[in-house]
Amino acid sequence: MSRADETVWEVFARKEYEEPLHHVGTLTEDDEDLAIVCARAIYDEQPWIEMVLVPRPEIREAIRA
Amino acid sequence: MVATPVELLAPRTEEEVQAHLSAGKLVEGLQHMSPKYLEGMRRILTVSADTELVSAPSYLRAAQHAPALNNFGSAMSIIQDELAHAHIGYRLLGDLGVDMDWLIYERPPEQFKYPYAFDVPLNSWVELVCANALYDQAGFVLLSDVYQTSTFGPWKRALAKVDKEETFHLRHGRTWLRKLVKDPGGKDEVQRALDWMFILTLEWFGLPDELKKHSEQLSYGFKGKSNDELRQAWMAEVVPFMEEIEIEVPAHFDAEADEYVIDCPFPARFDEEKREWLLHQSPIDWDDVLARWRERGPMNRDYVRTLQRGYQTTSLRKAA
Repeated sequence: MSRADETVWEVFARKEYEEPLHHVGTLTEDDEDLAIVCARAIYDEQPWIEMVLVPRPEIREAIRA
Repeated sequence: MVATPVELLAPRTEEEVQAHLSAGKLVEGLQHMSPKYLEGMRRILTVSADTELVSAPSYLRAAQHAPALNNFGSAMSIIQDELAHAHIGYRLLGDLGVDMDWLIYERPPEQFKYPYAFDVPLNSWVELVCANALYDQAGFVLLSDVYQTSTFGPWKRALAKVDKEETFHLRHGRTWLRKLVKDPGGKDEVQRALDWMFILTLEWFGLPDELKKHSEQLSYGFKGKSNDELRQAWMAEVVPFMEEIEIEVPAHFDAEADEYVIDCPFPARFDEEKREWLLHQSPIDWDDVLARWRERGPMNRDYVRTLQRGYQTTSLRKAA
């Protein structure tokens, strides 16, 4: 019943193209389409012009202080 | 497993954590934590997330009494904010090795860690807007302190949005109270609500400093102000406002001592069925208050069940 094994997605967004994408949060969802729907629903606090999702397992760390 | 043991996740020693913090750096994840830091951070995040989460069913129940549809809309918008704030805490707890679904949907009601005040029902629109003015002010005081001083970077950054939204909840409460007290009947109703809600919110800040147990909350910089300092900061916002709208509360500013003073027995006995303070009975101590908190109050099971019902009755999730 636990979702501990499901994919965690990092969510990034920005309000205008002049500003960099920044991290706004995470969500847990295996299905890619559902992840996109969830991201739009959960992180709707600003009128974003861009929002992207990255599955956490795909991230490669080059530097970590 | 509901949570991975802290020893398996947090690699640093106490000395390493203190050296990291002394160098003015923030803790950015498990790699910077000691087991003790992780345990303390899990505790304070759970209290914060549980408080935001349980405010939703509490406010939702009272919002049914909204005088008009647009007022109901405002209340719903506040409730939606509270759920998003809870989500911030729970997703960070997920990253700190706690099973999020267990925390939210499977944990027994009595294990939730929000202030006792939310276990007492809000029965009207007036009580809802009083809660916005008192409880959301308490949340604002606590979270502003975390935002300004917390050493846990991911939480600190997430709170920028929370701070902005709590300001709106507070303004909602105060705008309504100013309007309600213009009418004698409305003023009486606000006074009756404050009579039980004010002291209940004073309790929200917990044990007085001389009795406080979790000292790592300050030494690790989980927060900046002590319980008594936070209680003072809350009174400094609420007491002058209540004086302005001529609502009586049992506290005043003592210019000589340069602090707010509580004018009634505190802590005190509370009749949770009648929602009355029994201020003329024999005094009690904080152990009695802790016992009442541990027992939880009238609405605990009802609210937690409301939040968990969908998850526990959805066959889709169970089949997976």
